[in-house]
Amino acid sequence: MKSLWMQSKAEILRIVRNPYFVFWSLAMPILFYFIFTRVLNGDMPNLEEWQAHYLMSMAAFSVMGTSVMTFGLRLVQERTQGWSTVLRTTPLPGAVYAASKMFAQMLLNLLCIVVIFTSGWLINGVRLSASQWLMAGLWIVIASLPFLALGGLIGCMKKVDTANGISNVLYMGLAISGGLWMPFEIMPEAMQRVGKWLPSYNYGDGAWSIAAGGSPSAVSMLILLGYLIAFMVISGYVRKKQEAV
Amino acid sequence: MTTVIELKNVSKTFRGKKAVDGVSFAIEKGTITALLGPNGAGKTTTMSMMLGLLQPSEGALSLLGGAPGDRRTRDRIGAMLQEVAVMDGLKARELIDLFRSYYSRPADRDYLIKLSGLSPSDLNRSGQKMSGGQRRSLGFALAMAGNPDVLFFDEPTVGLDTTARRRFWDEVRQLAKQGKTVLFSTHYLEEADSEADRILLFDQGKIAADGTPDEIKRALVKRSVSFLPETADADWQKRTAGLLGMRLENEAEVTESNGRIIVTAEDTDAVLRILIESGLGIRDIRVDVGRLDAAFEQLTRNHGTNAQIDTREAI
Repeated sequence: MKSLWMQSKAEILRIVRNPYFVFWSLAMPILFYFIFTRVLNGDMPNLEEWQAHYLMSMAAFSVMGTSVMTFGLRLVQERTQGWSTVLRTTPLPGAVYAASKMFAQMLLNLLCIVVIFTSGWLINGVRLSASQWLMAGLWIVIASLPFLALGGLIGCMKKVDTANGISNVLYMGLAISGGLWMPFEIMPEAMQRVGKWLPSYNYGDGAWSIAAGGSPSAVSMLILLGYLIAFMVISGYVRKKQEAV
Repeated sequence: MTTVIELKNVSKTFRGKKAVDGVSFAIEKGTITALLGPNGAGKTTTMSMMLGLLQPSEGALSLLGGAPGDRRTRDRIGAMLQEVAVMDGLKARELIDLFRSYYSRPADRDYLIKLSGLSPSDLNRSGQKMSGGQRRSLGFALAMAGNPDVLFFDEPTVGLDTTARRRFWDEVRQLAKQGKTVLFSTHYLEEADSEADRILLFDQGKIAADGTPDEIKRALVKRSVSFLPETADADWQKRTAGLLGMRLENEAEVTESNGRIIVTAEDTDAVLRILIESGLGIRDIRVDVGRLDAAFEQLTRNHGTNAQIDTREAI
């Protein structure tokens, strides 16, 4: 228990001290939120709705980014720098290490959500009911699991540069085609048809539904669950192959 | 004396290449042992198997009476690997505390801080911003975090200046005196010679020699006795070989160069004695000892290049 706590504390410190985390997970989403709800919102018919909707988009964007980029890259770095090997010479169980990483990640995701929600409240005076805030926050944390698994898959890559490039493309691609950056409805129809099957769209859609007074659809949940299982199975397979030397 | 580490016929094959080939040895408590050899000789692979980072393809290893890689075993060992990685985003002081939390009976914090040789301001710096030497010193402190019984150092002094190197070895000596067992790998003969009680000489995945530094030196260095025969008539080369063959325990090689008969043998004292006692007409007797570094270099150069296997990738 003590080692779990110490390790989690260390992981949290490491993530918070990473300038990329602060930039991508906090500064960027808040800046985007400001730009797209205060500066470029001229022709939005129901502004209040849009402000709540886009707040959800940005919170999802932030947490997805932390999971895919920070988590995945960190895994690659630790391996290439030999850090994972060092840890394997210590009595720290691998499971505790993995658990503390997950725990730290979850806690920081929660922190990002609170900060971004608060900024939405401060910037635009977004008002949702207490249960809506809570449900949206919970959804964004829990439904981020497929992205953590995707991060884990990126974490199997051999080189930091490759992992960095690929995770950037995935992150941006998923964010844009999933409608996290701009409204899904203004995208070409063909893109929308593909986008509906992406984890990012279903992730965002759950939060949007909650903000609009509904709840995440069963289809979204199933699709996200499918991605979670797929990513976990693939990375399990890749890891096994890498270890079989 | 208790045996702390034991390897029985251990081999490791990477993609059909044998990086370690049938290695056996036992290490006693409180000793300092050097794994000496050129790059690619199998030192790091052997050490990785002792640490439980790699599984042997064949053979058995035991460490502190248990299996390497076992949690209880790991609680009692410390390791400093070739590439000293320092976790990013954590200060040296935090790393020391973190590592202490991994072990059931951690070493004293102040002792570890002293061991790292870092100043109070450096202790508050992140590992990434340290010099290679400082990182290595920190790595040493981290290896000691669990107050281990057995210590593994893979090329520990690469990148250290003379003072830091001296300090490191003085500390290691102290640890061995306290009953800790130390294993280190190096490709510097000098270092193995001056710091180790015992040298395991690795060559192409096998142990080419095993003994005290003096014994290893004796095995590596060619010693010879040479003389000029008084008469040029008889076949001296054959005669000498016959004479020595009867009375010498180990084999001797007899050659001739410019009329001088050269006997290359391990025990040159015995050769001398036999030659004198035989009453042969010989003069201008010389005893020559080859140069140690030259002999080691030759061994290294012969095989060093073709046995390179990147074990780090495999880990």
